[in-house]
Amino acid sequence: MKRILHKLLPALTLLTFLLLWELGVRWANIPAYTLPTPSVIVLSLIDHWPSLALSWWFTIKITLGALFLACLGGVLIASVFSLSPQIERAFFPIAVVLQVTPIVAIAPLMLIYIESTTAALLLCAWIVAFFPILSNTVTGLRATDRNLVELFRLYRASPWQRLVLLRAPAALPYFLTGLKISGGLSLIGAVTAEMVAGSAGRQTGLASRILEASFRTETPKMFAALALLVLTGVIIFLLFNALSRLLLGGWHSSEQSHTVDHNS
Amino acid sequence: MALRIVQSIFLLGLLLSAAHAQQAVTFATNWKAQAAHGGFYQAVADGTYKKYGLDVTIRQGGPQVNNRPLLPARRIDFLMTGNLLHSFDNVKNGIPVVVVAAMFQKDPQALMAHPGQGYENFAALKNAPTALIAKDGQFTWWQWLKMVHGFKDETLKPYNYNLGPFLAQPKAIQQGYSVAEPIYIQEQGKFKPVVHLLADHGFSTYSTLIEARTETVKNNPDLVQRFVDASVIGWVNFMYGDRSAANALMMKDNPEISLAEIEASVVLMKQQGIVDSGEAQTMGIGAMNAARIQDFFNQMVKAGLYQAKDVDLSKVATTQFVNKQLGIDLKKSLAPK
Amino acid sequence: MEISTPLPTAELVNTSKQFSTGVLALSSVSLSISSGEFVTLLGPSGCGKSTVLRLIAGLELPSSGVLRSPAQQHIQEYATAFVFQEPTLMPWASVFDNVWLPLRLQGSSRDTSCARVDAALKSVGLEDFAHAYPAQLSGGMKMRASIARALITDPKILLMDEPFAALDDFSRHRLNDDLLHWQQERSIATLFVTHNIAEAVFLSSRVLVMGARPGRIIHEVTIDEPYPRRPAFRESMRFVDYCRALATALGHATEQPQQTR
Repeated sequence: MKRILHKLLPALTLLTFLLLWELGVRWANIPAYTLPTPSVIVLSLIDHWPSLALSWWFTIKITLGALFLACLGGVLIASVFSLSPQIERAFFPIAVVLQVTPIVAIAPLMLIYIESTTAALLLCAWIVAFFPILSNTVTGLRATDRNLVELFRLYRASPWQRLVLLRAPAALPYFLTGLKISGGLSLIGAVTAEMVAGSAGRQTGLASRILEASFRTETPKMFAALALLVLTGVIIFLLFNALSRLLLGGWHSSEQSHTVDHNS
Repeated sequence: MALRIVQSIFLLGLLLSAAHAQQAVTFATNWKAQAAHGGFYQAVADGTYKKYGLDVTIRQGGPQVNNRPLLPARRIDFLMTGNLLHSFDNVKNGIPVVVVAAMFQKDPQALMAHPGQGYENFAALKNAPTALIAKDGQFTWWQWLKMVHGFKDETLKPYNYNLGPFLAQPKAIQQGYSVAEPIYIQEQGKFKPVVHLLADHGFSTYSTLIEARTETVKNNPDLVQRFVDASVIGWVNFMYGDRSAANALMMKDNPEISLAEIEASVVLMKQQGIVDSGEAQTMGIGAMNAARIQDFFNQMVKAGLYQAKDVDLSKVATTQFVNKQLGIDLKKSLAPK
Repeated sequence: MEISTPLPTAELVNTSKQFSTGVLALSSVSLSISSGEFVTLLGPSGCGKSTVLRLIAGLELPSSGVLRSPAQQHIQEYATAFVFQEPTLMPWASVFDNVWLPLRLQGSSRDTSCARVDAALKSVGLEDFAHAYPAQLSGGMKMRASIARALITDPKILLMDEPFAALDDFSRHRLNDDLLHWQQERSIATLFVTHNIAEAVFLSSRVLVMGARPGRIIHEVTIDEPYPRRPAFRESMRFVDYCRALATALGHATEQPQQTR
């Protein structure tokens, strides 16, 4: 019984929260256009499912696309940095600049200069998402056990062997940490870019639905779209947690939850 | 002469009574201060609101600002909106607000194009490769343009209230107020743009509407009436009288606007009959009639923006505060001799 | 008739090492080690024991003097094996993959190497743990895996830098016994670093006592005990005598005033 309760704890907390929300709004008689109840939101979700589903799919595509490109870019650039300290010194500041520039400011500019809306949105989400992967992977590539590096030197390993057999696996836990962070960020980047800059027609995601609902004062629909966004973020989080457990579970301290057996 | 004395005594009386009860009122607009808000600023600047016992604070809107939720939330008392589509949405979603006056008989919403690019004809606009439309328009009258006039979503690019993209692309078109953007385009781009008023092609909504909460209308109609009346007087004085105080106040609120731009805008407002045309000329500025609202709604239903059952038109607007021929005499007295 | 002595496996002649930081790690050290010999470097920290190993391994270059070693002479791929103080296993790889590594770096595929890896694992007693991960092994087992990896290339010289320092006495004694067994089996020249006197006596045929600042050899003790050495040796009087001799020498090593040059 205790184990079942333990597993269900997050779900129960969520349900309690939703229940309080529903009852609270009803009791205080808050109108739907200010704060809708969860039941009204679900109804709105069902009502507008066709358009919301389409937008949801679009947002997911942008998010995953940006994440994939962020992995590619982050890992590639990190590898180059690890091979050449000079290049790293020269270009790391640029990476930092990209990280700290607020998307809200550059998104409108991106959409002006780039023809394709989808490409512009991908770029904005990529800018937000790639830095944690880059930064963490760089650290990971550097964090190799010094003795192992000597060992590889001793056995005259080629630079390629060193990268693939030593540095890459050593960097994996760090890369996965960056990935977990970037998962959420690419979603935020995709949504922010679309919110700030906007797009029209079929090439629109949940952000546009939120804006539209906000402008048309359709608050329940706005919350429904928001709920889908939150769900997407949670799914991404859970997915990458599972991936991390899968890849690191056997050997990395971050995923060890049980005691090590001692056989001599 | 005698008339003057009577008027003075009348005003004095008002002043004395007003000195007792200056009710604080907040009025939110839908943009940064510009000539299209002139009448309201006039009523503040020349003391008309004060004469009607109101201490009015004007709260500007702006590019990223949406003041509309503030009205049902009771954070403001009156709200300026740009067209009736907002009002239809409100009623559809059960938001308890209602239109009490329509300052513009014609909506100055327009599409602009570069001259000599073949856009002299309205029908050519839908073929423009790029239409720069802001979010507010995208979710309202752009839908109408798509359904009724064949515009396409593929051409829509977000308009961020920056003239740069339009000026840089000769084949682009963009949205704007017919009494404002053309002036700026002429200043920055050094050319006179082609302007197509949506109102000339079937977009027959009133504009620069004053909205109030239904509870205010029910419980405090006197307040609403005073605000509407003072605003109407303000508009008359702004359009036909000495608006220098209003101009100064607008330039203070919005440092980016210049005196030349305001004056040029007033000229266009008069030329295009935005404020004072049609019914307003006989019934006073702010005039509304239910039939026109009904007609506009029917057109929007046909354009697929609404379903007839979505909106109870009786809740959209009330004409109890306007159509009283207020300001007509004042206008006559201000006319150049 | 001249008896030709075979060339030593590794040799230092008046070798010095000064690091770029200015520290003189070794000052005119001379030693040699031949095939099959077990030589221990014994001394306090900072006496350059690890530096000697690293020079022979080819991980550092001498500042002056002569150095001859398999690594320096490139006579055979992977003739040198090194066991660090930490097991230095790749945590993301299985025990099998860890032991396979040197052969893999040479270009051998998993299948080709399979037999040799299995044999190496068997000889260190880890044949049941081929697919375990380092995180699942105890300290002693990880060290065995590290040694298995060192032995898999049939090295000519085995360099060990305080490999058993982190283990408990029981595991250390067992590994001492096993190490001697493996070393004698293969007749590998073994240069062993420790600051544990008892370990030095038990394992080695010669013990070189080193002094610090700068690092140099100040004393040499020959342990005249035949191999294979039984655990009983540890309780003998001879053992105690050797330990005392080394302790005295070590005491001198730490007492020596700094030699300035």
